[in-house]
Amino acid sequence: MVWSWIPGNLGLIGQLTRQNAYIGIVSAVVGLVIAVPLGIASARWRWLYPPVLSTANVIYALPSLALFVALIDYTGLSDTTVIIPLTLFSLVVILPNVVDGLRSVPDDARQAATAMGFGPLRRLAQVELPLAVPVIIAGMRVATVSSISLVSVGQLIGIGGLGYLFTDGLDRDFPTEIYVGLVLIIVLALVCDLVLVLARRLLTSWQRGSLP
Amino acid sequence: MIIFEHVTKRYPGGTVAVDDLSLEVPDGKIMILVGPSGCGKTTTLRTVNRLVEPTTGRVLLDGRDVAQAHPAALRRGIGYVIQQSGLFPHRTVEDNIATVPLLNGWRRARARARARELMELVGLDAALARRYPQQLSGGQQQRVGVARALAADPPVLLMDEPFSAVDPIVRASLQDELIRLQAGLRKTVVMVTHDVEEAIKVGDLVAVYRPGGHLAQVDTPERLLGFPADDYVESFVGFDRGIRRLSFFPADGLDLDLEAVLGEGATVAEALQVAKSVGQPWVLVIDAERKPLGWAAAAQLELLPGEHALSDVPLTGYGHTFRPGAESLRAALDATVLSRTGRAIGVDEQGRVLGVTSFDQLRAAIHAADEAAAEEAPADGRPAAGETRA
Repeated sequence: MVWSWIPGNLGLIGQLTRQNAYIGIVSAVVGLVIAVPLGIASARWRWLYPPVLSTANVIYALPSLALFVALIDYTGLSDTTVIIPLTLFSLVVILPNVVDGLRSVPDDARQAATAMGFGPLRRLAQVELPLAVPVIIAGMRVATVSSISLVSVGQLIGIGGLGYLFTDGLDRDFPTEIYVGLVLIIVLALVCDLVLVLARRLLTSWQRGSLP
Repeated sequence: MIIFEHVTKRYPGGTVAVDDLSLEVPDGKIMILVGPSGCGKTTTLRTVNRLVEPTTGRVLLDGRDVAQAHPAALRRGIGYVIQQSGLFPHRTVEDNIATVPLLNGWRRARARARARELMELVGLDAALARRYPQQLSGGQQQRVGVARALAADPPVLLMDEPFSAVDPIVRASLQDELIRLQAGLRKTVVMVTHDVEEAIKVGDLVAVYRPGGHLAQVDTPERLLGFPADDYVESFVGFDRGIRRLSFFPADGLDLDLEAVLGEGATVAEALQVAKSVGQPWVLVIDAERKPLGWAAAAQLELLPGEHALSDVPLTGYGHTFRPGAESLRAALDATVLSRTGRAIGVDEQGRVLGVTSFDQLRAAIHAADEAAAEEAPADGRPAAGETRA
């Protein structure tokens, strides 16, 4: 471990960290944005869910490298080329949670909402989605952490955030870079996870208090 | 007024939940739908706010076919209370109650103020307003459910086994609360229950279902107990209906005797003379405020010196009293059965003795009440719905 390498390369480290965070977070967020409507549709029309889930699983089975290479023709050597596969992976992780979350809404609450005079859209927005939030956020946590760590695979096509430190460290037989990259990815993942935990606490204050 | 006109609900697969059912629920009355599970009572209830659409027939609400109304708008005008309270776990008590006002476009502050009013109405502590449903007991949750149903002041209230998930003591207090609320609100209520006791206690009218979605009898609780239409209804209303029915006859028609009632200042000799002249083995002793002190037995008085005051004589406890103005013949009968002297004491609000009654007087009063009820009922014992004195 050569500690002095760190202060000398703060600029590089900062830039790689930002790229890693950007690609990882955007992938998870876009994955969520697609998973929610898809999950709502799958929960609403039950026949839709099995084919959607199978398709999602096939996508999950695709090697990321193959996807990167296939996408280069369309999106070139840009962040987007890495973001698209990672978004798909996030989507696959989050989707079942959206469906399970919506299915976990107590039947009596759903029924009461209908009987109170909620239309279908209002019921979804004001009753069902808020009640599904804990389960959806649980999926979002897994998706975010794995996205952030998967960004380094993008280094195979030269866009890998902190993954650069792994290949560069190997090439130069300089383990310090590898350690720094490893620690920063873990820290980044933990920070994002913490933000999500706080978001859940904020959105689901109703879950904490139980009968004294 | 809610009118069910030949309503039938047939599910795909052929199951008939409700079969050609016609029923009228008069304004301001509580109509209870009661029957064994699977008899179609909940299905009937749900046709009113279109949670279930009848296969044939129609439901009229104040003369308008509910099928013509927009479902969401219709439902906002009908209060709905369900068994497990159906509260929204993610909303505070006040926001749960404010649900329908908010849907109707009220500002949040106004809707919450309305919620606070309703909490007071249903007997919920204002300190609970910011709690979440799961922080409340079952009985409190059910009160919130009732408050939520009443929030937009709908003329009609539908209740689907509202009290069946709470323990018997809480259930009884919720039933009393509903009766008290209804006395002030005069809503048109349709309530489903499988508990015939609840039906008889709470209902102005009771519709008894037969399995298969048919009505067996629609009547006042008193006439259901007095004149069950057939063996099915009789076995459904259950054991000791004769005695239970007495709770519908006020005790104010009962003859009360004051002949054998004496003040504590009277002497043993006076008491014996009274007992002999009216031919009674017991004399009731009262104090200066006319409150009962206890019974003196003539047989024992004979063993005592005649100049003794009754206040010095050992007395037999008088047990339960009853209030003729406020209680029923059932209470009077109960007090008589429990009394060691076979006599019950009628008292006024302040507990002052109005008189004494015995089995003989009770028998006469029950007979008279029976005659009057039989005269009111048509010959076949099945009066049409809506003919209620309640």
